Amino acid sequence: MLEIRCPYCGKRSQNEFSYGGDGNIKRPTLGEEINTKDWDDFVYFRDNPRGKHTELWHHTSGCRQWFKASRDTATHEIFATCKMNEDFNE
Amino acid sequence: MRISMSNQFRTTNSNGLINKNKILNFTFNGQTFQGYEGDTLASALIANGVHLVGRSFKYHRPRGFLGVGVEEPNAMVQLHEGDRSEPNIMATEVELVEGLVANSQNCWPSVKFDIGEINNLLNRFFPAGFYYKTFMWPKSFWYKIYEPVIRKAAGMGIAPLNPDPDRYEHNYEHCDVLVVGSGPSGLASALAAAKNGARVILAEDKAHFGGSLLNDDVTIGNMSGREWASDVISQLKNLPNVVVKNRSQVFGYYDHNMTVMFERVSDHIEKPSQYTPRQRLHYIRAGEVIVSTGSIERPISFGNNDRPGILLASAAREYMKVYETLVGKKPIIFTNNDTAYSTALEFLKNDITPIILDTRDNSDGELVKEVQNQGIQIRFNSGIANTKGHLKIKSATIGKLDSDKENFISYEEVECDCICMSGGWTPTVHLSSQAGNKLKFKEEIDAYVPDQKRQKETAVGAANGSYTLDQSLAEGFQVGFELSNKFTSNNSKTDTPMSKEPSQESHEKLWCMPLPNGKKPKRFIDFQNDVAVSDVELALREGFRSIEHVKRYTTLGMAGDQGKTSNLNGLQYVSKIEKKIVPEVGHTTFRPPYTPVTIGTIVGREVGNHYLPTRKSPIHKWHEENNAVFVAAGLWVRPRYYPRGNETMNDAVNREAANVRKNVGICDVTTLGKIDIKGPDAPEFLNRIYTNAWLKLPVGKARYGVMLREDGMVMDDGTTSRISENHFHMTTTTAQAANVLSHLEYYLQVVWPELDVNVLSTTEQFAGVAVAGPKSRELLTKMFPSIDLSNEGLPFMGLIDTKLGDIPARIYRISFSGELAYEVNVESDYGLHLWKKIMEAGSDFGVQPYGTEALSTLRIEMGHVAGPELDGRTIPFDVGLNGMVSQKKDFIGKRSLSKEAFVAEDRQTIVGLVPVDKKSKIPEGSHIVENDKAPTPNPKLGHVSSSCWSVEYNNPFSIAIMKDGKKQIGKTLFAVSPLKDISIPVEVVSSHYVDPKGERVRS
Amino acid sequence: MQKYSIFSLVKNALSNHKDWEVAWKDPEPKKEYDVVIVGGGGHGLATAYYLAKEHGITNVAILEKGWIGGGNVGRNTTILRSNYMFDSNSHFYEFGMKQWETLSQELNYNVMYSPRGIINLAHSDAQMNAYARRGNSMRLNGIDAVLLGRDELKKMIPFADFSDTCRFPIHGGLMQPRGGTARHDAVAWGYARQADSMGVDIIQNCEVTGFDVTDGKVSGVQTSRGSIKTKKVGLCVAGSTTLLADMLNMRLPIEAHVLQACVSEPVKPLLDHVVTFGAGHFYCSQSDKGEMVMGGDLDGYNSYAQRGNMPMIQHVLTGGLAVFPNFSRLKMLRTWGGIMDMSMDGSPIIDKTHIDGVYLNCGWCYGGFKATPCSGWVFAHTIAKNEVHELNADFNLERFHSGKIIDEKGVGPKPWIG
Repeated sequence: MLEIRCPYCGKRSQNEFSYGGDGNIKRPTLGEEINTKDWDDFVYFRDNPRGKHTELWHHTSGCRQWFKASRDTATHEIFATCKMNEDFNE
Repeated sequence: MRISMSNQFRTTNSNGLINKNKILNFTFNGQTFQGYEGDTLASALIANGVHLVGRSFKYHRPRGFLGVGVEEPNAMVQLHEGDRSEPNIMATEVELVEGLVANSQNCWPSVKFDIGEINNLLNRFFPAGFYYKTFMWPKSFWYKIYEPVIRKAAGMGIAPLNPDPDRYEHNYEHCDVLVVGSGPSGLASALAAAKNGARVILAEDKAHFGGSLLNDDVTIGNMSGREWASDVISQLKNLPNVVVKNRSQVFGYYDHNMTVMFERVSDHIEKPSQYTPRQRLHYIRAGEVIVSTGSIERPISFGNNDRPGILLASAAREYMKVYETLVGKKPIIFTNNDTAYSTALEFLKNDITPIILDTRDNSDGELVKEVQNQGIQIRFNSGIANTKGHLKIKSATIGKLDSDKENFISYEEVECDCICMSGGWTPTVHLSSQAGNKLKFKEEIDAYVPDQKRQKETAVGAANGSYTLDQSLAEGFQVGFELSNKFTSNNSKTDTPMSKEPSQESHEKLWCMPLPNGKKPKRFIDFQNDVAVSDVELALREGFRSIEHVKRYTTLGMAGDQGKTSNLNGLQYVSKIEKKIVPEVGHTTFRPPYTPVTIGTIVGREVGNHYLPTRKSPIHKWHEENNAVFVAAGLWVRPRYYPRGNETMNDAVNREAANVRKNVGICDVTTLGKIDIKGPDAPEFLNRIYTNAWLKLPVGKARYGVMLREDGMVMDDGTTSRISENHFHMTTTTAQAANVLSHLEYYLQVVWPELDVNVLSTTEQFAGVAVAGPKSRELLTKMFPSIDLSNEGLPFMGLIDTKLGDIPARIYRISFSGELAYEVNVESDYGLHLWKKIMEAGSDFGVQPYGTEALSTLRIEMGHVAGPELDGRTIPFDVGLNGMVSQKKDFIGKRSLSKEAFVAEDRQTIVGLVPVDKKSKIPEGSHIVENDKAPTPNPKLGHVSSSCWSVEYNNPFSIAIMKDGKKQIGKTLFAVSPLKDISIPVEVVSSHYVDPKGERVRS
Repeated sequence: MQKYSIFSLVKNALSNHKDWEVAWKDPEPKKEYDVVIVGGGGHGLATAYYLAKEHGITNVAILEKGWIGGGNVGRNTTILRSNYMFDSNSHFYEFGMKQWETLSQELNYNVMYSPRGIINLAHSDAQMNAYARRGNSMRLNGIDAVLLGRDELKKMIPFADFSDTCRFPIHGGLMQPRGGTARHDAVAWGYARQADSMGVDIIQNCEVTGFDVTDGKVSGVQTSRGSIKTKKVGLCVAGSTTLLADMLNMRLPIEAHVLQACVSEPVKPLLDHVVTFGAGHFYCSQSDKGEMVMGGDLDGYNSYAQRGNMPMIQHVLTGGLAVFPNFSRLKMLRTWGGIMDMSMDGSPIIDKTHIDGVYLNCGWCYGGFKATPCSGWVFAHTIAKNEVHELNADFNLERFHSGKIIDEKGVGPKPWIG
């Protein structure tokens, strides 16, 4: 069971959280023209690295805040977590 | 019942850990025996001269005990009877209790005469992987004939058929230092860490603490090893920062230093108290884990080395020293190292003179010298070639080895009643490896030891390949101190006591004896799975050269013991044949659990009705009292219908639905998701979330909204109301409530943090009652005489705050049934009161409650979509929600809606279906075809998502989603359900079957 | 090649099994091949076999970075089925089911195909309706499917929880009688042995480290055992797909996730069918050894580790006891994990790529094992003819642009949501 540090609540076990996937995806700006390829890239295509992965987690059974985590997909080590408006302090 | 002569195989000394004053009766294979308190089932059976315990997996060979603990591959029994019956229990792990019942398994009709042993006679035809090469003709015979026979012969014990009567529970713990194993290094680590102030958990798998100290004649400080162990344990037990657990095995090491341990809480208690769980699962998140799990002795492969009575030398010693049990009275000790000599010495203490065979040329170790000093002649350069004795070892063919030890040069037949073998030791690296630790091969001990660690885990003592007591203690005290320093500032170091043990010489690299001249007996490596040396040879011969291929082809190491005594011997043999050094051969992966764990323990309390929580509305009690039949809606249970008298479901549903159309009905809609949305940017937020426009919704008005996922699929729908300028109340479907909340939070926190909006689930805060039907206004007017419920006072999609007596209530004029309808919300605690008040007020108007079935009927007739249509695979255009999709603004998922397939001319759309005969109900899940007689594959035009009996027209009506649906209207097609052998000619009509203009809701 | 049969087994037994030939050779890589298949798992081995058998292309190398059959073909729960709702899937997997029925004979290797029937349990009328939709679709596509009532199920799995205290009572189920299991390792080894016998080089311990691409055409691969020239490369690397695609500058609708499975200790025959629980994540079958083979759901976060964590095991086994409460006193013997190449609609991708001569086979999610024969067959066709077969025409990359996605579950592009 992973141990995840919620930037608001502190370290908690994984079963309090839900996963939110790739954290590097930027949603295209609402109302702006976007070509099909870029849009589909946003909806369906993923970097999927082996190693360091920026991802989102949601403290569902806690403070209900979404936050970022930097985690190794090969070892599951979590290097850092931070609030959405912060950068990792690694 | 026969009572056997009991305990004839006990030692003369009584320095063990059993209590001879307490006799325990137990039954094995129907025969009653006596053992003592402190015995295991294994020691008690051996003490009664019973070595034949079970039959092996493949060849059904008679098997006894190999070990004394978790390493046991052979002595598996079916424990207990009835619902507590439990298969595949290691007899070595069962503490004896009064009345224990155990039986042999994998044998028929009895363990002494097992028909399955025919496999052994034919074993030359059943080498590794034989089943891949045959049983292929004729084709159908595999499944019908061959496989059932194989399945019957395989398996081991018998699974119970009923639920487990026992209870299990879970515990979550944190500590600074977890020490796994209470041998010398573990005790040293725990003591050093504890005395330095760290919070320590010490876990010992056995009933007794001390590990090897229980068996080895050593001195620590001025105490014997055993005394020192019990002294340390009592010190630890007196420290407030220490938890000491016996009968507790750490079996899994997971990410982020999460270890999992099971504790046998009451298996060893004859009559546990009512509320004691049988076992407890501990999740332990440890700051540091010290793996002091010791080592396991290795067997030696020689001809017929699996007979009952052949066991590990260390096991024989432990049976004598801890359980005061003699494994035999005419022993042969067969070793490639010094440690087995302590077993010899233990026999000598009991006035039994063993024959000692040592593969080595010589040894000057102190144990060897001591044996020699007692006048025992040691046969060096010797080994065992073969053994005899069907159900129990009777004799051994021992042989002199030639100089390169590849052949025997002379043979001698020797009578014996047990063979105690030792092929050296294997560090128990399982937990380290599970933790992600890379292993390295340590040449001096010919075994893998932990190397680079990935987690906060440190192996000490024998588990680290440090076999001497000095090393173990030094490592334990050092590591315990160093690691605990991370958590305390005491810096208080415990001195390492002096220790003394006999010196030892190194082992010989020989684990497999040559075959006896002209004979080919099986030389087993993996006992439980019957994997012999010849199987490994065959695998390599056939090109299965990766160690993983060898494992899978031969099943080496895949039995219940997971290769604890066999993996390394297998590797060593592969290395010999392949002429590769062992590290080049590699090793297979160590997977959790370390030993098999009862599934009930892993699951804990979430069984039966507690599998998942049950959610009930505050009105639930009323529904129960009024004969409601319930249906699961996710975790919720909702009234499905309320039958009266002898009504069938259809009767009741039709009555309830018709009453809504004619009079008024009420439905408990508390389960709908409710989300409070507040903030100055709330309208803008809703405008982005929903496909339709929200900026101009006036205060006091509700609006129907549809939200999509980014891929364009409909995610959910519901009405949202503007309570005040910056305050909205959103409703979601029951099923999607949690997802929608997370979805909203995601967009607010991740995508548009600039929006000043807060969301909060209020599902549990409000009870909701839908009041629907032409008389609903009259009913509510009676209840709320002070408010104006007319079209002017509360128009369609309006809402009004009022009071029911002193209780705040909110009335929405919204409708799912398509009738004039309202929904009344009050705080949850008043839900039942509200419901009763409505029922009371409605008696004049013919009010009836209606359940989810009538609710469905009403919405289907109206063509309103719900879960079956919004199944995550439909875009708004598929389900007739085109009008909800704003062309003017952007919203979540809009860009996807222009995808080629989504705007295709013949894209699927929603339609209605009416059976041509106006009688036949169309089963949901049917498909629409043009020709119901066409051969397969018969092209499908669409499927029936929802069906009902239209109470308006008194005939069946269904909603379907069909390719190019609108163009099909007017056609007659077939709704077919081949599963039910049904084909119904249907007319395609509009999905808005009743009141297509929607006049009633505004009436 | 030696033929395997009861006769050869007896004959070899009498000569102490000294004369068995290697199942496949261990050749050094050649300088050049007509086709290089990257990945010696089930799909790669099957592809090579069908290239040789169906298309006469035998100058083929399979490059495997570890040992063949070591990926998901060797760590799955051995289930075979074609019980899909959408036509693209059902025609494809049904083609595969027909291959399974004769695969042991075709490969002269007993892959132990057992049509023991796969049962999806339903716990509500709504779920029965959803299964009916799928089952009717199967039947209209000529695939076997039957609806089962509670009473029929009681006879088939009497030890399941049919009690009053059950949290989610069993309403009924959908069964595909021809669905079942096969022996996973045997599939890899059977294909390997036949491919080898037709001239395919199976090269283990050979990791692909790069591709030679010029002017949009592939000309070779770089490996840990030297460079190999070829004009056609087929990628069959499942969980490692993105790692290789990165070398080709391809971004894919794929995420790697870990899926765990576990087995109980062996017990005497109890469960004849494959059973999936409809109110939680759990499915189970009993192997010929007697082990209960159990699985459920992804651990739920991107992972390239073939190891999972305990919460999912607990979650799955909790579902297990909800349907089979008598399993409580069985013991969990072994757990393991595999890396799933989760596609964004849950369906596979078998297609040409933007690079001439590079072919892609991935996106199998948790369902790749049963597809081994048909995937190999259509992929061999696609590589040999340089065009997709009608069976894999819909499994293209373009669908993520056109909108013709094949989402059986309807959960959208979040593969970790079961």
